[in-house]
Amino acid sequence: MEEPPNHDTWKNWFQLFGPKLLLCARQWTRSHADAEDVVQEAFIRFWRHQRDLPGEPMALLVTSARRAAFDLVRREDRRTAREERHVDGAAETVACFQVSLEDDERRAAIEEAMHRIPAEQREVLVLKIWGELTFDQIARELNLSPNTAASRYRYALAALRRELTSADCHG
Amino acid sequence: MDDEFLDLEAELKRLRPSAPSPALLSRIECQLRERPAGRTATSAPWFWIAALPAAAAVAVAWTVFFHSPSKSGAGMPAALVTSPTRVVADSPMEMKPIAAENVLVSARDEGLVTLADGTEARRERLHFVDTITWKNPRTNASLVWTVPREEVRVVPISFQ
Repeated sequence: MEEPPNHDTWKNWFQLFGPKLLLCARQWTRSHADAEDVVQEAFIRFWRHQRDLPGEPMALLVTSARRAAFDLVRREDRRTAREERHVDGAAETVACFQVSLEDDERRAAIEEAMHRIPAEQREVLVLKIWGELTFDQIARELNLSPNTAASRYRYALAALRRELTSADCHG
Repeated sequence: MDDEFLDLEAELKRLRPSAPSPALLSRIECQLRERPAGRTATSAPWFWIAALPAAAAVAVAWTVFFHSPSKSGAGMPAALVTSPTRVVADSPMEMKPIAAENVLVSARDEGLVTLADGTEARRERLHFVDTITWKNPRTNASLVWTVPREEVRVVPISFQ
């Protein structure tokens, strides 16, 4: 887990946690724009009320973002007109990871493969790898047992590797 | 974690999540800047809901404990001569008394006494706890006033 920045300005904090939080929020939202709304709400709440609380900032931010995402989904569900305008996550062109000049083909393959693995496995994978949460923290966040969180993580890696191997075979 | 996944994990960790858009940064900056106004607007009602009953309680306590007995008259304890209705009517909160309760805590028979006119009487000393509740129907704020009260009853005895 990375240490919080020494400089006590929101931009430094956001630079450190914003990208990871956006990727986590993307797991619970229907579009990239919704994920940014969720990150905005979660980060503002964190910055105003939670940054001095004990505990790891990323865990607090993830909890806040998940709650904001669920609130957003509930609000959106009540607005059928807006539902129709939603773009399916897999069809979005916004890259989840920074584009790499040297091996961008591989990055794109991983992103595509991640979209194909089950959502409940993907969210554990994202929280573990990029959210840098422990299995205990993930279990608390998702209301699972730590063993289930660890199992889902393993299944996610296995499924991802299968998808990547399959993509390699099909060229 | 199995060795077979170590390479894949390392490869995933090398991927850096995309940065949020500059528009999101601007939105957060704007929202953080407008904080003081928003906070004042949301916290003000709660402040008044909490502060007004507290102010009323102080007013009642002041009247009960510091009101001079000579001004109250009749040598009665201050608590007995204080008019809750008057205190509340003066307050800006539109509080209305909605319940009054007297609980008898203890009673002691102090025996026979001779009154000034020579007649016999029985004296009883009773201790009550009086509770009066006010409520503001507009805000639902409530104020409960609980005070101990001692009452001495002198009951003439007729032996006929």
